[in-house]
Order: sequence, then C-alpha cells, then structure tokens
Amino acid sequence: MIGVGKMKQYTNVLDKPLTKGKQEVSLSAFAFLFSELVQYNQTQVDNIGELERRLEDAGYAVGARVLELLCHRDKGNRRETRLLGILSFVHSTVWKVLFGKVADSLEKGTEHEDEYMISEKELLVNRFISIPKDMGTFNCGAFVAGIVRGVLDGAGFPAVVTAHFVPVDGQQRPRTTILIKFAEEVLHREARLG
Amino acid sequence: MIVCVAVVGHQNNPLYIQSFTEADDALKLHHIVHCSLDVVDERVNNPKKTGPLLNETFLGLLYPIENFKVYGYLTNTKVKFILVTTDLDVKDADVRNFFRRFHAAYVDAVSNPFHVPGKKITSRTFAERVSTIVKSFGLSSAV
Repeated sequence: MIGVGKMKQYTNVLDKPLTKGKQEVSLSAFAFLFSELVQYNQTQVDNIGELERRLEDAGYAVGARVLELLCHRDKGNRRETRLLGILSFVHSTVWKVLFGKVADSLEKGTEHEDEYMISEKELLVNRFISIPKDMGTFNCGAFVAGIVRGVLDGAGFPAVVTAHFVPVDGQQRPRTTILIKFAEEVLHREARLG
Repeated sequence: MIVCVAVVGHQNNPLYIQSFTEADDALKLHHIVHCSLDVVDERVNNPKKTGPLLNETFLGLLYPIENFKVYGYLTNTKVKFILVTTDLDVKDADVRNFFRRFHAAYVDAVSNPFHVPGKKITSRTFAERVSTIVKSFGLSSAV
C-alpha cells in the first residue's frame, strides 16, 4: 500500500498496459495524515496513556476492515483457526499489504506462554516522528498495535497488543517491538485443538 | 428464485435482512434465517470428517424446509451469510459464485469508515448491489 512505485518508461503512451489502478499511496501523504491524527488527538487528551489508547482505537477500526478485505481478496476461502496460522498471517500478509514488506521478525516470548513479539527495525508510521524527551515511553506505534489487535480480535483471538521501543546497540534509533499477549481462552482452545 | 438474503454478525445479531418476494411473510423468513443459525453453529463446532474442512468458508446446503432451500457461508470474522431460495435445481457453482460476489459487496460496505461494526448495514449502495446480484443469480440459473 505504501511504497515507491517504479514505472517502466514506454515510448508510446498507447503501449502502456491498462493498469488496475495504483495499489500504493504516497508515503508523504500518509505521513501528513498521520501527523495530523496524532496532533488532533494530542489536543483532546491530558495524558500520554489516553493518547496511546486513542491511537490504538483508531488502529483497531483499520485492523477490523483490513481483515475482512484481505480474507476476501487474498486468502481464497480459508479461515485461520490456529494461533501460528493467524500470527504468520499478520506477520506476512497484513504487513505486506500495509507497509509493502513483511515484518522483520516474529518471536515467541520466553517468560510467558501467551506472549509473542513482532519486531521491526523502524516502523513506517514512526519514520518521520521524533518523540520529545518529556513524553517518556510514548510510541506512535500504538496505531500499528491497534491494527494488529483489530485483526486478531476479528479473527477470534482476543489479545492485548502494545508497542515498545527496544534499544539496540549500534543503532541510534531503537527497534520497535509489538508485544501480543493472548487471552486465556485462546490458549485453552489452542491446547484443545492439539 | 431467491427469496431472501441475510447477513448475521458474529454474535448472531442480524446486520442485514432483505426479502425479494412480495407475497411471503417477512416474519416467516426471519424465522427460517434464525433457525439456520443453529445449523451453522453445529457445522462449525462438529466438523464432519468427510465433509468440508474445518476452515472452509462455503458451508453449502444447510437444510431444506417446506419448499425452501437454505445455503450458508461463513467469513473469517464469524459473519454469516444466509441465502434462502425456492429453486429446485440450483448448481453448487452458482451458489458459490453468488456468495463470492455477495462477500465482495459486504467487504465494501464494511470498509466504510462511518460503519460501526456490529450495527445494521444501512448503506444504500450495498442494498442496490445486493439486488443486482440477486437478479443476475436468477437469470444465470434459469439458462
């Protein structure tokens, strides 16, 4: 959806194939829109937690619709019932459609059974954003966390999804990790399915 | 002849019910759609070993009642499409095709940012598209 489109140069404009329409949106247009979204929400709330929650709610609506759209468009007629299935769906298909590439990595948490992490070196939404020092650990990736939560919720895997910065040596900007914590019933169901 | 189509949400709440005959009692059609939800749940929870796979979307003929046949389709978000028809010789491929186009119209209606998921679908465009699909279903299976 977002990316750089390269067009082949045709000598005669009549030779160009009929396009299906552009599947991509310009990055700068999205960056402007997103910055306005963040600024608008900033004027409406008093604290950081509320701001994060609002961004997440905005992402949730996007996630629900993306799930419907993708399942109809790409997945043929298959419904994901397994945990790993839905996670790999989010990690590859959803990321590909939204950001033009698959997510950098998908890991299982070591401390708890129900935690999974999707990491990205630099989230597309955070590319043109720098957080002022007095906002502490606020991460605009909360929007992406909301999208993931919307997709998982719609598919029947209720979860709590948050976005965190993880400092990495050798890089100035910290890596972003989306932490997914599934609800109890999801784990029970998964265990029952074997 | 398609008598009625319905979209039912994931908590079995009705999102869109439209009947296409003048004579029949709308309440009876609502009742038929409601009963078919039980059949859908039964199919989803106890998959037949030889039947469709656990995660197939098209559920096929749910059950015949009086002179109607009821077909079901389940999307990834547990939203169900129910089709009630009086045709006797309905080809499987026709019904699948119908549900595919219906799914496309549904996805477009839900992508509307002003649509609240869980509330009834009030889009006029959706209603028009559904009428078009229903009309063309009748024609293709009559040939």
